[in-house]
This record gives sequence, structure tokens and C-alpha cells, in this order.
Amino acid sequence: MSLAEGRLRAIAVFVATLGIAVATYIAVAEADGGAPACFAGGGGCEAVAESSHSELAGINVAVLGILGYLLLLGAALLRGDGARLVGFALALVGFGYSVYLTWLELFVIDAICQWCVASAILMTVLFAVNAVRMLRYVGTPR
Amino acid sequence: MSAERSQAEQERRRRVVQLGSAAAFLAIVVIAVLIVIGQSQTDGGDTSLEGADVVGQELAGIPQDELVLGDPGAPVTLVEFGDLQCPVCKGYAEEVIPDVIDSKVRSGAAKIEFRNFTIISEESVPAAAAAMAAGKQGRGWNFVELFYRNQGIERSGYVTDEFLTEIARGAGVPDIAKWKADRESRRVLSEVSAETAEAEQLGLGGTPSFAMEGPGTRGLEPLGTLGSAGEIEAAIEAALG
Repeated sequence: MSLAEGRLRAIAVFVATLGIAVATYIAVAEADGGAPACFAGGGGCEAVAESSHSELAGINVAVLGILGYLLLLGAALLRGDGARLVGFALALVGFGYSVYLTWLELFVIDAICQWCVASAILMTVLFAVNAVRMLRYVGTPR
Repeated sequence: MSAERSQAEQERRRRVVQLGSAAAFLAIVVIAVLIVIGQSQTDGGDTSLEGADVVGQELAGIPQDELVLGDPGAPVTLVEFGDLQCPVCKGYAEEVIPDVIDSKVRSGAAKIEFRNFTIISEESVPAAAAAMAAGKQGRGWNFVELFYRNQGIERSGYVTDEFLTEIARGAGVPDIAKWKADRESRRVLSEVSAETAEAEQLGLGGTPSFAMEGPGTRGLEPLGTLGSAGEIEAAIEAALG
């Protein structure tokens, strides 16, 4: 049993949309110097939001996340090898950078933000889906 | 027919490997660039810290020893018992203490000693130890003042190793490795406890609280929380005898 191309794309659309929602929430919560609400408590979200690592060249990392998820959504909505290849490359960047950010949380910032973890999980799913889409369907019709 | 199909499948696999490798290479380059940009902004000089310039100007040219600011021979010692997490102390650091430094410390009439009174939460202790460790390298007051200007919400978990290191770098602590070893040392941690115990012994109830010692006082006299720079300056005048 293997997932059809159409179903893989549908899963990717769904997960990328969730990713946009999560990243938008983080970006809005941090916009005025605040932090997302950490339901688990412990102040991890505040610590991560206040860390210098929450920005890259003056841009909030969550805003970069929104951009990444939007591009992944676009790649999932399009058919063909071009979209498969771009989706795979984008998902690999997103997954790799999420791994790095999670490492920063655990070993540099010493705090975990559950919203960042949620985003990292969504990126991992998107990477898996896009990798399957790429491996199975390059050079095949549909 | 099946040979043709198998050749086509082989060709397809070859293409997948080629394209996949190219995409992976590109992705690794992009991730590396993102990491390098992120690292350069944290190594390069505390771009996220506020008030480093103001603190530098405020303390420029004034001698420091441990957490004592001012001429060691100054006749009066003003002791401030503070908690680095305390928002009221932050207000004093920004609005009150600079005036006292200008009027009484620069003139050599008094020196100010910061002592830790860690009453807000456990997070106050590593912050206090970090300030004390910075003091061992002559940057204690820069650390305290810069910490206050970048203070987060009390008990929110912002006092991380990373935050403290950023403040230490911003404060100009020259040897970060030594500072780290000092702030984790049992000696420094016990000094922090001793200062808090001293504040309690003096009957001080909150932060910031002040105490004064000079020719006009009988030892170190607790003064409680003085409300303004004017009140502190008047107390220094009285302590001069």
C-alpha cells in the first residue's frame, strides 16, 4: 500500500496550513516584545522569545517560518516534478533549521518553547511527506 | 517490453538520486548560511542588549573593585541591597543611582557597594553570582547596570546561562571562561548567601534597601528604601559627619 501523489499533496497542504497558523501565532505574540503562552508553564516560551536567537538579521524567526510554510504550501498545491523537487528542497531546509533551533533551545538557551517544538514536529512531517513524494514520483506521470 | 520498463525505471531512479542530491546540497548550503548569520549576531557583540552605551558612559573613569564603585578611600560607603530581578531596583538603576554617582561618587565623597539580597526567586541567585563574578574582573557595576536595563519579567525563566553570558559580554568582562568558573564556584555562591543573610540581619524588608557607613554613623546603619536621589544625597551628607 502506498500513498497516492494526490493524498501526499493533501497531507502536505494540511500540515503546511497548520504550520502557518503556529508560526503566525508565535510571530504575533512576540511582535510587541511579548511571548507565546506556554501552557506547560515554566517560562520556557518567554526565555526563548527573549533570546537573541529568536531573531535572524533583525527578522523574527517565526516570520521566516511563516514564509517557509507558505512556500511549502505552494509546492504542495502544484503538480509535477518541479513542485516535487522544490517541495523536497524547502522541506529539507525547514527540517534542518528546525533541528538546529531545537538544539539551541536545549543546549544554549536552556529553555523549551512548546510552540517551537510543535513547529519542529510539523516541519518533520512535511520533510517526510515531501521526501516520499520526491522519491516515488520523480519522472512518473501525475 | 519489460526490459524497456526496467531500463526506464533505472533511468528514473538515477534522476531521483541526481535531483535529490542537488536539492540536499542546496538545502545544506542554505542551512549553513542561516546558522552562520545567527552565530555572527550573537558572537559579534550583543546587538540585542539595551543601554550598553549609557552604562559605559555612566561608569566611565570610576574605579571599581568587586561590587564597589568609587574611590576606595571615599569617607562614606553607601550600600545598596538589591535583587537583579527586582523591577523597582531597575527603576532606581535608571533614574536615581546615576544622579548619586554624578554628585557624590565622582566627587570622591562616597562609594557605592552593591550587595545581593536575593528575595524574589531562586533565579536571583545565579544572577547575583554572575554579578559577583563580573566584579572579580572589575566589571561588576557594568554587569549590574546592564542587567537592570535588560531585565525581563521576574520569575519568568529569562535568567538563563545564555542571558547571563550575553550581559557579561556586553558588560566587557574580559575573561568569560574565568567568569563562568567563578560564578559557579561554591565560594561565590556562599558569598551571595552571606549577603542575603546580612540584609535580613539588618532587618531590611525589601529591595532596594540602603545602608550607610561613614564618620557620622555608628557602623553600618540600615536606612531602608530611600525615595529619591535627593534623599540619598542628604543621607550621604549626614554620614560625612
